[in-house]
Amino acid sequence: MSFISTYRINQVRNDLELLLILAKRDISVRYKQTFLGVIWAIIKPLVTMSVFLFAFKTVSNIRDLGGYPIQLVIFSGVLFWNFFANAFQFSSNSILTNSNLISKVYFPRIIIPISALSVPFIDFIIGFIIYLILSSSLNYPISYQIMYLPIVFLFLALFSLGLGLIFSSFAIKHRDFLQIIPLIVQYGFFITPIIYTSNELISKSWFQYYLYINPLVGLVEFFRFSLIRGYHILSFYDFFISSMISIVVFILGLFIFKYKEDTFVDHL
Amino acid sequence: MNSIVSVSSISKKYQLPLSNKEVPKSFVNKIFKKKELVEYWAVKDVSFTLNKGDKLGIIGNNGAGKSTLLKILSKITKPTTGKVDIRGKVASLLEVGTGFHPELSGRDNIYLNGAILGMSKKQITQQFDEIVEFAGDQIIKFLDTPVKRYSSGMYVRLGFAISAHLDPDILIVDEVLAVGDADFQKKSLGKMKEVASKEKTILFVSHNLTAVANLCNKTLHLEKGYVKQFGETGEVLNNYLSAMQNNLLEQSFDHIEEAPGNDLVRLKYAKLTPALIGNQLIADVRNSLKIDIEFWNLLDDQNLNISLHIFASTGECIFNVGTQPKLLNKGVVQASLTIPGYFLNDGNYLVSFMIVKDKSIVLFNFEEVFNFEIADFREDTTWYGKWPGYVRPQFNFPIQQVSQKI
Repeated sequence: MSFISTYRINQVRNDLELLLILAKRDISVRYKQTFLGVIWAIIKPLVTMSVFLFAFKTVSNIRDLGGYPIQLVIFSGVLFWNFFANAFQFSSNSILTNSNLISKVYFPRIIIPISALSVPFIDFIIGFIIYLILSSSLNYPISYQIMYLPIVFLFLALFSLGLGLIFSSFAIKHRDFLQIIPLIVQYGFFITPIIYTSNELISKSWFQYYLYINPLVGLVEFFRFSLIRGYHILSFYDFFISSMISIVVFILGLFIFKYKEDTFVDHL
Repeated sequence: MNSIVSVSSISKKYQLPLSNKEVPKSFVNKIFKKKELVEYWAVKDVSFTLNKGDKLGIIGNNGAGKSTLLKILSKITKPTTGKVDIRGKVASLLEVGTGFHPELSGRDNIYLNGAILGMSKKQITQQFDEIVEFAGDQIIKFLDTPVKRYSSGMYVRLGFAISAHLDPDILIVDEVLAVGDADFQKKSLGKMKEVASKEKTILFVSHNLTAVANLCNKTLHLEKGYVKQFGETGEVLNNYLSAMQNNLLEQSFDHIEEAPGNDLVRLKYAKLTPALIGNQLIADVRNSLKIDIEFWNLLDDQNLNISLHIFASTGECIFNVGTQPKLLNKGVVQASLTIPGYFLNDGNYLVSFMIVKDKSIVLFNFEEVFNFEIADFREDTTWYGKWPGYVRPQFNFPIQQVSQKI
């Protein structure tokens, strides 16, 4: 018995090490042969924000969003969305891009989509540091609410991964699913309060149902709540609903992946 | 039972889309109609058990299900039915350098590949120097260079060096021995034997019967997914070889109407006979080969000769040899050719010949009359890699010491 348990523990430790080394691989390969390297992780969200600032302030003459600094609302939204979009895309594609591994060696397949979150995570950390600089330069520093950030980030990560697991499981046999991903990432950006706030939606009669369909709505507002001082548009109950839906999506993803993983190789 | 690997009647079914060109496909049909699938059993009802320390060789023709079986045993894919029970740590080497990332350095790739193959970070760190040393001097110099800059030889050497330092209970190997240059092959085979001498269980797929005979105590012969025979290596190999010999290399036509050819010439008889030595069952590089040809000549007063080509299975022509032209009349014409031993290397070859008139006009080309295989034969060797080249001459090549001074 004790032999078996130490064997299991060693196995789990090896799997964790493999997860870390694959994550490290993705991170160190990400900006190889670029001149600016990791600075791209800073440039990209700043450019996105500047484009929308230009559109809002200069073209439409909008000065604030829901009463909060427009830069912070947009930058936090973009930060949130970039993580979701990359985590979802990378984990969905991960099985196919690592097909050489899958077809030659056995290890728990779930390691691959999880390790695909590493690059979006690092980009997120860098973006978060920029947010800290941006917010204090606008005299809107973070408050005690930041302590909610790890929780909301966890739900966001689970939701992105869950969706990624579902899409990667189906995309192996039917590549049609890979065509849907860019649609979700492109248009989801506009139907989720990323460059606006829920203030504009909250009065609509369908809004409660919309929260069920798109848990990212509750999550992004919860995310802003943790970052922007005094930001409070949705209720804690709304946050709770969105968080629970994220968990459900994640568990569903786990089950589908578990069910499909044994035959991945046959369709590669 | 003391079995470490126990496989009970596993089968693996694949479904392949049926290509039916006769049914015209409309656009709507294409999308909505369910594609017709043909079932194909890559592995069917395979069972065997191995005890600790057994070395199993898996042999069979291409498409016999060897690779599928290895994938099932390595847990890469699941069998459609049946059960595999393996007790202990498994490492499968279906490829050298699995998961190497071209952008990463040799050093990083050692850690990456080691982790993928199931080594812990501690194990890799402990054996790092040994791995690098095993891979050779060149690798030491370029340890911090991305592997995309490596030569293919260096790449393979590094990959094998990592694999060679795995320490599993059960090792599953797919012909990775056939890599690298002769020198490195010798080294890797030595390592393989060292591993084999330990209390390890090895499953080894190979086309190289010599290697199987030397390394394995048990052999599994697969044919079209089924187990043809499982047992002691000597016995299985003997039966395997005698089965191969049954493919008679002879064509004979009694009636001229049925014979291949045209209104000018038709084939009557063709036979390829290897001069086997002792109780040998299959032709190998030592044997001479005799080719006998008889054909019907349907016109009188023809100046004919035969031009014979031998092709490698890859399509290159190995040589072309012709008879002298001769004035021949209506009737049966006979010719024979002997290819000496130690001329063709081991491999698969095709024979075609044509009947030529006046040294220039081809009357008929008899294509792929024989398709034959020549096995390898070596004595007193420690190296089992593929002998390079299409020919295998034994030229006189003396070597001697001319001085004791340096």
